[in-house]
Amino acid sequence: MLKLENLKVSYAWEEILNGIDLEVKDGESLAIIGESGAGKTTLALSLMRLVNGNVKGKIFFNGLELLSLSEEAMRGVRGNQIALAPQNANNTLNPVYTILDQVAEPVLEHQSKNRREAREQASGLLSDLGIPKSRFSAYPHQLSGGEQQRVLIAMALANQPKLLILDEPVSSLDAPARAEVIELLKAVSQDRSLIVMTHDISTAAKLADNIAIIYSGRIVELGSMGEVLSWPRHPYTRGLIRSYPDMSTGKDLQGIKGVMNRSVSGCPFSSRCTQVIEICREKIPPLRLIQGRYIACHRGGIIPLLSTKNLTKHFGSLLAVDSVNITIEGAETLALVGESGSGKTTLAKLIMGLAKPTEGEVYLEDSRVNNRGKDFYHQVQMIFQNPGESLSHRLSVLELVREPLDIQEIGTEEERNSKARQVVREVELPETEAFLSKYPHQLSGGEMQRVAIARALVLDPRLLIADEPTAFLDSSLQAKILKLLLNLQEQRGLSLLFITHDIAVARKISDRIAVMKDGRIVEQGPAKSIITAPMHAYARKLSQAASSLSFEVKEP
Amino acid sequence: MFSIRNLALYLIAMFIILALNFLLPRMMPGDPLMAIYGEEALVQMTPALKAELVERFALDQPWWQQFAAYLSTLFTGDLGYSYYHNAPALEVILGRLPWTLLLVGTTLIISTFGGIILGIESGWRRSSLQDKSLLTGLMVLGGFPDFFLGILLLIGFGVTWAIFPLSGAITPYSGFTGAALVLDVLHHLFLPVTALILCHVGVSYLLTRNTMVTVLKEPYMLTARAKGLSNLVMRYRHAGRNALLPVITRTGIQLGRMITGVLFVEIVFAYPGLGYLTYEALLTRDYPVLQGVLLIVAVFVLIANFLVDLSYSKIDPRIRYAH
Amino acid sequence: MHISIREEVKQHNSAKFGIAILLLMLTIALFAPLLASYPPNMQTPFAFEPPSFSHWLGTNHVGQDILSQLLYGARTSLLVGFSAALLATILSATIGTSTALIGGLYDRITMRIVDAFIIIPVIVIIILVAAYVKPSLWVLILLLSLLGWQGGARIIRAQTLSLKEMGHISAAQSFGASNAYLTFHHILPDLGPILLVEFIYGIRRAIFMEAGLAFLGITDPTIISWGVMMREALDFCYLDVWQWWLLPPGIALSLTILSVTFIGHTLEGALDPRLESEAIA
Repeated sequence: MLKLENLKVSYAWEEILNGIDLEVKDGESLAIIGESGAGKTTLALSLMRLVNGNVKGKIFFNGLELLSLSEEAMRGVRGNQIALAPQNANNTLNPVYTILDQVAEPVLEHQSKNRREAREQASGLLSDLGIPKSRFSAYPHQLSGGEQQRVLIAMALANQPKLLILDEPVSSLDAPARAEVIELLKAVSQDRSLIVMTHDISTAAKLADNIAIIYSGRIVELGSMGEVLSWPRHPYTRGLIRSYPDMSTGKDLQGIKGVMNRSVSGCPFSSRCTQVIEICREKIPPLRLIQGRYIACHRGGIIPLLSTKNLTKHFGSLLAVDSVNITIEGAETLALVGESGSGKTTLAKLIMGLAKPTEGEVYLEDSRVNNRGKDFYHQVQMIFQNPGESLSHRLSVLELVREPLDIQEIGTEEERNSKARQVVREVELPETEAFLSKYPHQLSGGEMQRVAIARALVLDPRLLIADEPTAFLDSSLQAKILKLLLNLQEQRGLSLLFITHDIAVARKISDRIAVMKDGRIVEQGPAKSIITAPMHAYARKLSQAASSLSFEVKEP
Repeated sequence: MFSIRNLALYLIAMFIILALNFLLPRMMPGDPLMAIYGEEALVQMTPALKAELVERFALDQPWWQQFAAYLSTLFTGDLGYSYYHNAPALEVILGRLPWTLLLVGTTLIISTFGGIILGIESGWRRSSLQDKSLLTGLMVLGGFPDFFLGILLLIGFGVTWAIFPLSGAITPYSGFTGAALVLDVLHHLFLPVTALILCHVGVSYLLTRNTMVTVLKEPYMLTARAKGLSNLVMRYRHAGRNALLPVITRTGIQLGRMITGVLFVEIVFAYPGLGYLTYEALLTRDYPVLQGVLLIVAVFVLIANFLVDLSYSKIDPRIRYAH
Repeated sequence: MHISIREEVKQHNSAKFGIAILLLMLTIALFAPLLASYPPNMQTPFAFEPPSFSHWLGTNHVGQDILSQLLYGARTSLLVGFSAALLATILSATIGTSTALIGGLYDRITMRIVDAFIIIPVIVIIILVAAYVKPSLWVLILLLSLLGWQGGARIIRAQTLSLKEMGHISAAQSFGASNAYLTFHHILPDLGPILLVEFIYGIRRAIFMEAGLAFLGITDPTIISWGVMMREALDFCYLDVWQWWLLPPGIALSLTILSVTFIGHTLEGALDPRLESEAIA
């Protein structure tokens, strides 16, 4: 019913929409999510030809091409077949007329009714939306925010539009009013197509079937609501969901590094993307259908970084690792949870190549890893449990951190030193000469582990395998190390394979969890699901036995 | 919120006028009676009359008694006696009042509404040729003092092309009645009113236009456009109605300036209203008339402001139904 | 809110025109004695002369050179205009800031009085006073300023009230600044542009009033005024002399007022950026 083809909108000073392709069928509802400045309001306004800028492209609505209509003809469509309920700011309703008159106005304009009939119809609309009759002759300033929003919706519905566009319908309301208006809108959307513009994911989830993510004037992901939210395929979508506080997340909020910058060439997200390659900076990725989802990404969405296939290891007759299949994606954390002796560490060693598998393969970005050379270690690094052991006591901090560069013979000595200093800074350790010349036995447990992390980072790896990195540390130190790892993930796009026995810790740090018992992965999935609704008995046991601080607060 | 504060305002204004009227003659050196009635008048008075006036005005009493005396004479409607016109000042003034009201009323209505409509159209088409030329044109017009404009019109249409009469409100001794009278009045009214309108339309125009520019950016204009309303409806019903508010408030203050203009124009056209009367009184030092005119004019301006205040609260629902 | 007056002027032709004319008038006023060929008060037996080589604008009813009178008239208009406006602006600023900063009963009473004065038509008061007091130039200036500061005081008070709430005032107060310090170092500088606009419009009002009052005959008899010239010319308008007697002072007066209006309008536009920027829908 509505189809946008390569819609571009620009003002004299900048391009706001850079080629939007969308389709909404009869009765469908689409939510368009974006942050401020992405172009949502411009998109809403341009659908009704209400923008002042330069508009190119095509908008097809029920057979009409809207951009080629005369202004008169377009006026006949506005408020009639396509209606907009604008964002409710101060003065969105005209302060000098009663709400009844304002709702009756579009009826008078587009239908051939007289004043009395129009006002009757308006009364009906207002009542349907829950405004009591006594308020019909009220003026906008006498109404609450929620009531004003209802009036705006009633105005939009006045002529039974086939397409209803809502711009941030509930963002100016507080929670109770919000819930009511959302219910209202759900009922309203039954008979027509709906497009909702909002920055609020949970509102979108309640109102629409499909979702489109808009970033810097382009659609980056488009698909059905449930699928996109539970399994986002575009790095920006994933970042957006990760930064969104809702009642069911466990993992701490993470931001997206950088800021929206309109003047980039190529993919608009490239300056903030953690899996960017050269072509991303040169060409704008088209919106393509990949595995049932529309994605605009040269790499086809979030790439799987490392995966194992039927990885098995026997120690003589002991089956340590039994046909393990896991996948770690770019810039995500997979927590591997299990008791001691479940085979976690062995699995890590197998991946790192510190032990040879009996069967099975490891794939790095879709290509099979046979021999692990410098290239591999460039991409995958590991942190061990006991920093006291993993750091050679003969080397100073600077030498320790520099060692991987020395081994791989990268750069001049000067470059290696400055790189080493840089990562030391990244792990929030002092860069002073005094510190850099210390030896491990002079450092605290937390400092040693940070040095180990710095050393692992110096090769700029994409995947960090952390084997119980906080086992030997106090809780307060553990918290700091975990936060550091999450920060590094946000900044560098680092993937983490986090091995732990503590499912509570896993909850705070992971996107997905794999539960391991006796060498097998018994359950695997999004962290939310595993924690709130574990299916396997063992997983459930782990969850129940996990550390919990909930207790009854007794009144003094 | 309207009542007491504003009432106090008007009372204070009235008081200031009365005080001025009272103080000025009495602060002059010399015989206060002369200051009140003027030298010429004094010459014509008998000593008995003088003694009676001294008593009436309590001129030999402390000043607060004098003020009380002054107020009481006012309340009896006695504004003094004009020796020049040989009639009570009040009568003279009331005789001239209707003509001034005619001038002021016509000017006020036409210039305010004309200015509003021009302002709405101009603000709507902002920066267009129409807007810019109207803006410049009306500003230039506003730069001309009323009397100069009046003089130009007089010379142009009265002297050079004798289309309009040179003076007066009606043709004297003509004996017109009915429709002919009305036509005659309008004929005489035309030039003075035109001069005044040309001078004052600019103010309402400018204010309306500038308010329109702000109003057009308000969110409810977008809402109106999204409803598919026609340009005319948006311009007047939505934008215009909101742009009206400051102009109405200003009308009260505008009146003060208009009185000034009317004064000069009446003199230029020898139009027999209060302005011309004031001029005559000034020349002949007819103090009672001068004071009386000040009082009457002040009263009318205050009443007009009062009415404007009343109407404003009706027009703006945000004031009427303040939370 | 940073305003650049030079930018605004550069952008608006009307302002440039206004400034040019005003400068012209100022020059004429300053150099009138040098520019005029005759003393303006000198009466000659040649009355009602049309423009000639010796009298570029002819002579008036008592043989005085009209051009010289015109040049000297500029002095009066500008002198009265600037002085009355200056005095009025100073009064507005003082009353406006003090009522806003001190508040309380002083504020309430003063503002009632101010409002009362705004409503009363100034001209009527001046006429009344002039009937009793012989108006010299300085009395006129005093009167005009005493009756002209009220409007500005309202505006300045409103602006001071909102400035008072601004962060940098509170910051200064937290350092222990006195009211006087605040007024002179923070408020007055911020009020600068508004004071300037008030001053410009004050000049306009004063020039208009001076000419009008002179027209009515309320003026200092020892000085030349455009208003007087127009009055005299009007008295003889049936003779065909108005072209060179009536028009020049009228046009000069209108041009001066117009130039000040343009300057004021441009400055006002600078103060209110909303009037300048683009709308969306």
